[in-house]
Amino acid sequence: MNLRKTVFLITVSALIAMTPSSTMLAQGVDSQMLLHPPADSWPGYHGDYSGRRHSSLTQITPQNVKNLSLAWAFQTDQIASIKSSPLLVDGILYFTVPENIWAVDARSGHQIWHYTYPRSPGDHIGHRGVAMYKGNLFFLSPDAHLVSLEAKDGTVLWNVTVADVTKGYWTTMAPLVVGNHVLIGVSGDFDNLSGYIRSIDPETGATQWQWDSTPPVGTPNQTTGGMTWMTGTYDPDLNLVYWGTGNPTPVLKGSTRPGDDLYTCSIVALNPETGKLVWAFQVSPHDTHDWDGVETPVLVDGEFHGEKRKMLMQSSRNGYFFVLDRTNGKNLLTAPYGPVNWSLGVDAQGRPIPNPAKEPAPDGRLIAPDEAGMTNYRSPSFDSKNGLFIVDAHPSFSIYFAKPADGLYGWAGADYGVWGKGLLEAIDYQTAKIRWTHELGPGVAGAGVLTTDSGLTFTGDAMGNFLALDSSDGKTLWHAGSGSRIVSSPITYELDGRQYVLTSSGGVMFAWALPQA
Amino acid sequence: MNFLRSALYVNVLLVTTLLISPGVCAAQTPTHGKQSPGTVKKSDADESEPYPNALVQSGSALFRQDCAFCHGRNAGGGESGPDLTRSKLVTADVDGDKIGPVIRNGRPDKGMPPIDRSDEQIASLVAFIHTQQKLALEKKGGRKGVDASDLQTGNADAGQKYFDGVGGCATCHSPTGDLAGIASRFEGLQLEEQMLYPKKAKSKVTVTLASGQSITGTLEYLDEFTVGLFDPTGVYRSWRTRDVKYKVDASINAHVELFSKYTDADIHNLMVYLQTLR
Repeated sequence: MNLRKTVFLITVSALIAMTPSSTMLAQGVDSQMLLHPPADSWPGYHGDYSGRRHSSLTQITPQNVKNLSLAWAFQTDQIASIKSSPLLVDGILYFTVPENIWAVDARSGHQIWHYTYPRSPGDHIGHRGVAMYKGNLFFLSPDAHLVSLEAKDGTVLWNVTVADVTKGYWTTMAPLVVGNHVLIGVSGDFDNLSGYIRSIDPETGATQWQWDSTPPVGTPNQTTGGMTWMTGTYDPDLNLVYWGTGNPTPVLKGSTRPGDDLYTCSIVALNPETGKLVWAFQVSPHDTHDWDGVETPVLVDGEFHGEKRKMLMQSSRNGYFFVLDRTNGKNLLTAPYGPVNWSLGVDAQGRPIPNPAKEPAPDGRLIAPDEAGMTNYRSPSFDSKNGLFIVDAHPSFSIYFAKPADGLYGWAGADYGVWGKGLLEAIDYQTAKIRWTHELGPGVAGAGVLTTDSGLTFTGDAMGNFLALDSSDGKTLWHAGSGSRIVSSPITYELDGRQYVLTSSGGVMFAWALPQA
Repeated sequence: MNFLRSALYVNVLLVTTLLISPGVCAAQTPTHGKQSPGTVKKSDADESEPYPNALVQSGSALFRQDCAFCHGRNAGGGESGPDLTRSKLVTADVDGDKIGPVIRNGRPDKGMPPIDRSDEQIASLVAFIHTQQKLALEKKGGRKGVDASDLQTGNADAGQKYFDGVGGCATCHSPTGDLAGIASRFEGLQLEEQMLYPKKAKSKVTVTLASGQSITGTLEYLDEFTVGLFDPTGVYRSWRTRDVKYKVDASINAHVELFSKYTDADIHNLMVYLQTLR
């Protein structure tokens, strides 16, 4: 080998040795990355285990965000809208729609591979994304299969059934990886089915444990339902997984399921090794309006009325904002965050009391909020700097019907939204007072919320505008018209020393950054 | 936004190499009006023999391409098209004698475009729609519906009293004026939805330019950044909101303000009263 080549090789090796390892070798996702996600990653649906969707990146600021511009866009060229939060690991993005995963180079927006699951039965209502552990992805299908694939090329490693689609189950969620447990949840409201969380072995697909949210189907005077639609959060110090459960079935009729209907519409804390229930708090006892309690259980450490607390916050579909002590599930605060007309107030445990006069009726009842709820699957964000819980809310009204001829199975009634709007609300978590709002337009805005330490709030409005707002007062600092409906939550990461914000609209993924020097 | 959705839809169709005119229903106003679902009894739909599976399958594929965008993949209603499984026309149809003309001619007044297809293709769509209606009636757990007969629990006199009094409806509406014959234009659930919030109604807006000139038109688009209207001659004009002052005629908000004031009895009474205005 000649001298010049030797010098070249020595120089290159030295450079490799000097570069931080996370950017050099493809490592996949390990427990350390999930616990402490580096700046150049977004290794799980929420980014980290807390669910706060709050980034410490400060390159993009309220002062320079007006210069934010398009780095690249990726067009999926198909008709389903992206609802997933992408993962960013080792410079590659992974995002989904039902039956599809794209692996895209985060630097260029170039597709590396595209996996399609064969056309399947089951509801194709949406898909929230994949999970990753080591070098493997975990992906749920509409017909309730969990598929493990190699991240490098989409090769399928194994495929297991996690629920029976012929009974009425389907799956849409991004699994949660805790230790060597891949945690999945199920959906299915058009049949009277029991909800559950299942823990799956990442190597083999074998079931490790299952926690059932409701009693077995057919138990007299007991509810079914409690679907575990959305990705939970995790506290590694307490070693507790937090998960929300869905509404009871039959959905709009409560006569066959008197009482609270545990554990539907509940926030539950489980031991991730065993699936054992440690505590539960019900956000909507005896629900008859399809208001799942599956919104992000956001974990916040901070002060509550002068005392240091480990808290859990949820802006729930039924219109109530909850703050709990996440060590034991005790309620600290419960307050509406928009118009609600279905309750008789809040009980001693902090749970709303449903008003029987506002249960669905043959001639209809005017209900606030509507079935879609005061918020839905889109992520809220907790801005630690300002102490604000920021949520894309949907003040709304609807009419709910149920009559004997509708039966006692599945939906068992009908409901219709009559009016609603999108409203971004920044809630002071200690008082539930809304410090600022930002109008998002008529109907419903579907964008989730991301906040950053530099004082920015990223979201979108009902007209498809991506927005960057000042977190202190909600004023618009930047926008870009996307041309379609935004139905996903933003993410951010730093790559090559450049901060990117990723948002999607329709079937297109957009990457935003400040112009390169 | 609507344009892009139409364009994307066209893109998909072109990719699948179909030669049909683009589905413009996304750009049209949704269909509501005289055609209300009504009662569909299982016996009505059950009478005929089941259609051959192959015909239903090809109808399903064609429905997905031509119709699902508005009517939903299972014909159960979608973004802007009614639930065909509860349609009186579908129930009354015999082998396409009523459905066929609707497909071929569209419903221009309601935003459905004509769909140009061969007789065999129309037959497959008819087979699919009838099969879907049958399935919907058999499906235990799906969303149910509301019949006009469910909405008759109120009292017309009490409704009129509310209309003229506390409800404040008479401030903007008149039973012999704008609401004359309203119950002939809408019935059942659609009448109640319109009553609670007439979501198709367009607002007026006045835009005042820096020069002092003002233009009043029908509001067509509004977000934080842009206001657009159709002027009195029907021409679209828009401005950056930062460059003009604008005022939207917000009288429709009276409907929203009533939401927190109505009792359910008020709503039922109003419904029965409005149904006397034929």
